[in-house]
Amino acid sequence: MENRTAQIQNITYDDGIVKKFMLATIVWAGVAFTVGLLIALQLAYWKFNFNLEWLTFGRLRPLHTNAAIFAFAGNAIFAGIYHSTQRLCKTRLFSDALSNIHFWGWQLIIVAAAITLPLGLSQAKEYAELEWPIDIMITLVWVVFAVNFFGTLARRREKHLYVALWFYIATIITVALLHIVNSIEIPVAFMQSYPVWAGIQDALVQWWYGHNAVAFFLTTPFLGLMYYYVPKVVNRPVYSYRLSIIHFWALIFIYIWAGPHHLLYTSLPDWAQNLGMVFSIMLWAPSWGGMINGLLTLRGVWHLVRTEPIVKFFVGALTFYGMVTFEGPLLSIKSISSVGHYTDWIIGHVHSGTLGWNGFLIFGIFYYLVPKLWKTELYSKKLANQHFWIGLTGVLFYYISMVTAGITQGLMWRAIDPKGQLVYPDFIETVTRIIPLYWVRALGGSLYIVGYILFVYNIVKTIKSAPASQSDTVVEYAAPAKSEQITSPEQGHRKLEGMATVFSILAFIAVLVGSLIEIYPTLSLQKYLNPEQMTEPYTALQLAGRDIYTKEGCYLCHSQMIRQLPDDVLRYGPASTIEESMYDHPFQWGSKRTGPDLARVGKKYPNLWHFRHMLNPRDITPNSIMPNYYWLAENNTDFFILRKKVSVMKMLGVPYNDNMLANADRLAEDEAKIIAEDLEKQGAPKGLERKEIVALIAYLQSLGQKAKVAAPVAPQK
Amino acid sequence: MKEGLKYFTDTHLTSIGLLLFFTFFVGIVFWVFRKGSKNYYNQSAQMPLEDDL
Repeated sequence: MENRTAQIQNITYDDGIVKKFMLATIVWAGVAFTVGLLIALQLAYWKFNFNLEWLTFGRLRPLHTNAAIFAFAGNAIFAGIYHSTQRLCKTRLFSDALSNIHFWGWQLIIVAAAITLPLGLSQAKEYAELEWPIDIMITLVWVVFAVNFFGTLARRREKHLYVALWFYIATIITVALLHIVNSIEIPVAFMQSYPVWAGIQDALVQWWYGHNAVAFFLTTPFLGLMYYYVPKVVNRPVYSYRLSIIHFWALIFIYIWAGPHHLLYTSLPDWAQNLGMVFSIMLWAPSWGGMINGLLTLRGVWHLVRTEPIVKFFVGALTFYGMVTFEGPLLSIKSISSVGHYTDWIIGHVHSGTLGWNGFLIFGIFYYLVPKLWKTELYSKKLANQHFWIGLTGVLFYYISMVTAGITQGLMWRAIDPKGQLVYPDFIETVTRIIPLYWVRALGGSLYIVGYILFVYNIVKTIKSAPASQSDTVVEYAAPAKSEQITSPEQGHRKLEGMATVFSILAFIAVLVGSLIEIYPTLSLQKYLNPEQMTEPYTALQLAGRDIYTKEGCYLCHSQMIRQLPDDVLRYGPASTIEESMYDHPFQWGSKRTGPDLARVGKKYPNLWHFRHMLNPRDITPNSIMPNYYWLAENNTDFFILRKKVSVMKMLGVPYNDNMLANADRLAEDEAKIIAEDLEKQGAPKGLERKEIVALIAYLQSLGQKAKVAAPVAPQK
Repeated sequence: MKEGLKYFTDTHLTSIGLLLFFTFFVGIVFWVFRKGSKNYYNQSAQMPLEDDL
C-alpha cells in the first residue's frame, strides 16, 4: 500500500462484528424499553411493582437508564463506529480478537448490570450506579475499544480523517476521562464502595460526568454517525464541511462546562452555577449549527422524505436534536430551572432526546445497514413507514404529557397566596394532579414499543430473506499514485487531521481545560466550609441506614437539597448548606421530586410514623404512590461490616474516633435497641432491633439534624 | 472560600479567558475560510460517498 504507482489490493472489512453489535442493540433495546414502560406504569399506579423488592422504581430506574444509554445506544454506537471507520479508513479493523473481546466484554457488563441493579447493588450516582468491579470492567473494555479504534486509524489508507472520525475520537477520550474521575471509589465489600468525593465535590463531579454522558455518549458519537450516514443514504456530501469543523471544536469546547446547570439554586457556589448556565446557553449555537448542517445535506432531495422511511427517521432525529438542544439551554437559565428542576419536564426533555434523536437515528441507520450487510432488500418499506409514524406519535405523547406534568407541578409547588403561604402545602396534592398525565406517558411509551416490535419483525424477515452464504464485504482498493493524493500542500489543519495522535491530544486538552477550571476549586472542599456550621458525622447505625437508603434508590424520587428559593424554604425549611452534605459519600441531592424533599425530615415525625409509612405509605398519606417496603421489616441489617465502613469513611476524611472505629457494630446495636423499644412502646411488633427498617429510621431522623443552620422559618400549617 | 473564588472575581483574568476563547473561535472560522481550501474541503466531504458498501 505504500507503493506509489496505482496498484489494486483487496480489503476485507469485518462485517461480522458490526452485525453482532447490531443484534445486541436490537435485543437490549427491548429490555430498555420494557423496563421503562414498567416503571412508567408504577408511577401511574403504585401496585405495578407486584409487591416485589427487585421491581421497585428505585431499583429498576437505574436499570432502565443504564440499559437505554449503555446497552441500546452503546451497542448501536459501536456497530456504527466499526462499520463506518473501516470504510472511511479503507482498512479492516485493527484486531479481530480485540473486536470480539470488546463485544463480549460489553455484553458481560450489561448482564452484570441487569443482575446487580435489581438486587440493589448500587453506588447511588445517576448513570454511574454500577459497583466497582463492574467499573473496572468498563474501564478495561473501553481501553480495548480505544486500542482497536486507534489501531485502525493508524493503519488507514486514507490520509485525511473524515469529520465523523473526529467525533468518535472525542467520544473515546472524553468518556474514558469522565468514567475514571467519577468512579474513584474505595471498596467496602465485593459489591459496595464509597466514592472519594463528598457533598458539593461529589455533586459537581457527578453532574460534570452526568451531563457529559449526554454530551459524549449520546451526542458526539451520534453526530459522527449522522455525518457519515446522512450523506451516505441520500448520496450527497454534507452541506458544509467547513461548518462541521467549527461545529466540532465549538461543541466539545463548550459542552464540558455545562454540568453545573443541574445544580442551580443548590448550595453549590454561585460562580460554578453561573458558569454552568452561561456555557449551557452558548451551546445553542454549535448544536444548531450541527442540526442545520445535517438537515441541509438533504437540499435538493427533500422528496425522499416522502418515500424513504430511512430519510424520515433521519429528518425526525435531526428535528428532535434541534428541539432538545433548544430546550436544554432554555432549562439551564436559572429562572426557568427554578420551575422545571425536580419535575417531569426534565424527564420529557431527556426522552425527546433519547427516543427522538438517538432512537430515530439508530432505527434509520439500521434500516439502511441490515439490507446492506446481509446483502438483501428490506422486507417491507411500508412497515418501516408505519414504525416511523407510530414511534413519532409515541414520542410526542410522551413529551407533551411530561412537559405538561412538569410545568403543572412546578407551578403548584411555587404557588404562594397573598398572605405568603403555600397554596398547596400538601405535597401529595401536586402528585395526584398529574397522575392522569402519567397514564398518557405510559401510552406514549407503549406506542414507541409497538413501533419497535414492527421494527424487529421487519429486521427478522429481512435477515431471513438473506442469501444463506454470508461473506464479509471485500473492496478493491487502488492505491493512488502519490501525485494523485490530496493535491493541495499538506500544512496546518490538514496535516493535523493526518496526525491522529496530535489531534487526539488537542481534543483531550479542549475537554480538560473546562473540567479542571470547574472542578479544581472545589477539590479543596475545606475552603468552602464555615467552621461554625460544621456537621457531626453519622452514627454507625445512621450510616447503615444511609446505605439502605442508597440501595433502595430513594434518591431517585426524593431530593435532599432545599434550594435557595422562597417556596422551597417555605415548604421544607432553611436552604441546605454546604456543610450539611460535607460527609456524604456519595451526595444524595437527587434530581427529581416524585415525593417531597427529605433534607430536613429528621425529627419531623415520630419513629412510628416512619415505620408505618414504610410498610404502607397509604396508611399515612391516602393517595401516596410510593411502594410498600415491607421487606425492610424482615431483612436484617449487617452490623458486622460497620467497622469496615467506618474505617473507610475515616480514610476519606470523616472524623471518627477510636471508639467508633473499634466498636461501630456494638454502638449501632445499642442505638438500634433504643429505636426498637420506642417503636414497640408505640405499638409496633417486637424484635425489630436488627431489622433494616430501624437503621433506615435512624438515618431519616438524622436528616437536617447534624449541622447548625440559620434559625428555621416558622413551619407551615 | 475566598481563594477558590479569587480566579473568578478577578475581572482581568476572566476577560483574558473570554478573549482567548473568542480568539480561538474566530481563528477557526477564519481558518476554515482560508484561501484555496475550498477544493480540499469538497474532496473531504466526498469521502463517505466513494464506495457503495
